[in-house]
Amino acid sequence: MGSPPPSSAPRPAPPLSRRSVLRGAAGAGAMGLLAACGGRSDAAFHADAGPWRRYAGTTVNFISENTAPTAAIAADLTPFTELTGIRVNIVTLELSALAQKVALDLASGNGEYDVVYADPYQVLAPYAPAFADLREFAEDPGLPRLPGGFGDFIPTHLDAAGRFGGDGKVLALPYDCPTMVWQYRADLFERYRDRMADDLGFDPMPSDDTTWEQYYAIAEWFNDKTDAVRYGTGHQAKQHDALMCDFSNLLWSYGGDYFDGGRRVGRVGTLDPGDCRLDSDAAIEGAAFYQRLLRIADPGSRTWDWDGLGAAFRAGRIAMCPNWHEYAASNEAAMPGKVGYARLPKGPARSAGMYGGTGIAVSDVIPERRRQAAWLFVNWATAPRTQLANLASEVGGGTPTRTSVYGLPRVTEAQHRPSKMANMLSATAVKETWRSDTIGLRPKIPMWAECDTAVYTQLSGMLAGDASPESAMRAATSRIDRIVARGWVN
Amino acid sequence: MGSLTTGLRRDGRSSGRRSRIPLPGFAGRMMAPGLLVLAGVSLLPFAAVVIMSFSRVHLLGGLRLEGAGADNWTRLFTDPDMAWAWARTAGYFLLTVGGEMVLGTLLAICLWRLRHGRNAALSLLLLPMFVAPVIVGLLGRFLTDSTFGLYSWLLGQAGYHGDLMGDKTTAFLSVTLMDIWEWTPLVTLIALAGLTSVPSSVLEAASLDGAGMPRTLRHIVLPAIAPVLLVALLIRSMDALRYFDIIWNTTGGGPADATKTASVRLYETAFRFFDFGYAAVTGLLMLAVTTVVARYFVRLLDRKGLAR
Repeated sequence: MGSPPPSSAPRPAPPLSRRSVLRGAAGAGAMGLLAACGGRSDAAFHADAGPWRRYAGTTVNFISENTAPTAAIAADLTPFTELTGIRVNIVTLELSALAQKVALDLASGNGEYDVVYADPYQVLAPYAPAFADLREFAEDPGLPRLPGGFGDFIPTHLDAAGRFGGDGKVLALPYDCPTMVWQYRADLFERYRDRMADDLGFDPMPSDDTTWEQYYAIAEWFNDKTDAVRYGTGHQAKQHDALMCDFSNLLWSYGGDYFDGGRRVGRVGTLDPGDCRLDSDAAIEGAAFYQRLLRIADPGSRTWDWDGLGAAFRAGRIAMCPNWHEYAASNEAAMPGKVGYARLPKGPARSAGMYGGTGIAVSDVIPERRRQAAWLFVNWATAPRTQLANLASEVGGGTPTRTSVYGLPRVTEAQHRPSKMANMLSATAVKETWRSDTIGLRPKIPMWAECDTAVYTQLSGMLAGDASPESAMRAATSRIDRIVARGWVN
Repeated sequence: MGSLTTGLRRDGRSSGRRSRIPLPGFAGRMMAPGLLVLAGVSLLPFAAVVIMSFSRVHLLGGLRLEGAGADNWTRLFTDPDMAWAWARTAGYFLLTVGGEMVLGTLLAICLWRLRHGRNAALSLLLLPMFVAPVIVGLLGRFLTDSTFGLYSWLLGQAGYHGDLMGDKTTAFLSVTLMDIWEWTPLVTLIALAGLTSVPSSVLEAASLDGAGMPRTLRHIVLPAIAPVLLVALLIRSMDALRYFDIIWNTTGGGPADATKTASVRLYETAFRFFDFGYAAVTGLLMLAVTTVVARYFVRLLDRKGLAR
């Protein structure tokens, strides 16, 4: 070893000891762990910029079901990024996976998702306190105003998809609005109209006066009298949420409902809906008719959800079905000019078509500026201009949730063939269904997912011959009562 | 392998001195980090699930547990749907594991007897095993779809016009067959490994003694490969009890709950209803059943000297 350097000379840098390396690695690891466990940072903020540009440089995370409007928006986010300087990450999932992600995100408290596709029954009702009241953003002078205001949204949509619990808060803006309508092979109805009228004793063309009994007779006529299709009617009767949707149309039209004050429970929502009323005479009558209808329907119905039913209809296998109106675009692509749309038939009480719309909400567990940046996206994504662009999009579609969009000349024209916005071909039928006296709203309660399962499981048993309509409805009632009695713990 | 502990003080004879906890030896110290990680990823979640089973789990505003006493456990024993789900699980277990063991062994014997092209045949046979169960479920759903499914069309040509997934019995059998299709190759592979280790001298001796194929199989081959088959049985049993992917992607548990097994019910309870307390109880029951089955087979293996 050499002699030690004189004290005046600069000391050479000591070699990196093993201990300091380990200490540094431990420190870096701890910081990484803290960063991973901590919430996300707040949004960038530029006080001098205009209302749309104040959060430029921020990235907003949007979690959505894989629906038509999201596909259209994801395909062209450039207008939003140019307008605001905000980047948007879109995560699209199947609905039940989305509900899981949102629940776990809320449990972790991380606030990973800024904008949430808030399904009224699986997300909004169970986790309503976790979403921001959008009125605060709409009234904030520092933020862009909501074009047309809340009043421009179709009222039933705003209540059903945007509110929960009757406290007036707006937790989500209506974003999509699938609604069940009667889809029928207009070409076949025209071709056989006179023969059917002679045989059946009524005009078979769908109208506001058509009843479910007439629907049944038409279906039976197609089964027996033509080879143009294999079956007259098809249904989404797989043991799945789809079965509850399909049955509910009958339930309501026969005067039954899930709970007392069902329309209020469906439109506004509640934590405590009271006793289940599926064991009422009207509900049992509706179930009995549904069972009878399914006996003459395509046997494949018991394996189809809405997608399976849509595929069967487009394959020319059935003459008519109740299904979501947003299948109009794919129907038109497969069978141009051959499909007609009408409001669902009426029963002894009324006509009712299931509404399946959803809003988009801003998470309340994220920092304030991030919430405001998220509001810019919610505002833009539901704006009339964006909804019009979605309607014309080749990759997406969806249908508008704003009254003003339906009044636009381009949209009005698209309601008739030839149409560049094929979903608009069903607009007349859905607008009739969205009236407060015809819309079908399932209960907006936090424990609906479990009640829904109880309903479609009992119905599936009924269709399989395990139970009579009466015992199926009574079994569903007692299960729902037990679920509701346990209450909601989240 | 050496003992994991050294310095074990045998103080029992020296009265008045307390016995100490044995210190880990070299091997023990080397394994300690791994064991700690293993404990972290298995014991802690296990403890969390046990605690959750006695709680009501709140998600909003961060995870919170509220004591629920034995409510979740009481519910388990009064829930008729759960009892049926377990009955169906037992049915699936017997059909899938039984079918796979019988078919897998038969196919292995056929391959074993094959003189040419065994490797090519084995490669083809193993293909289903490499498909993810989710994909098998999706494939099954498309192939049996009554509108565009190939199998439905073939059955239609053969005169069957029903809907496979629309009837309780056929849906049950269909999802069972899908599982058998996917996992029989695994049993074949394991059984074939056992067959190749049967001494040829014993087989020749049996042949010289005039034993035909059935007697050779019964008295020589099957006893020789029994321990290996037991390993296959153990592996498949563990998996069959957790049977989920294919059912969820084909029938979702229907029609009329005909295919709703305990694992489907567990998934629904946890991730559709977000009732984590009751899901924890269901999960613990499933763990207990799996452990009992595993212990039973391990004990059988132990008797044959294969567990060591």
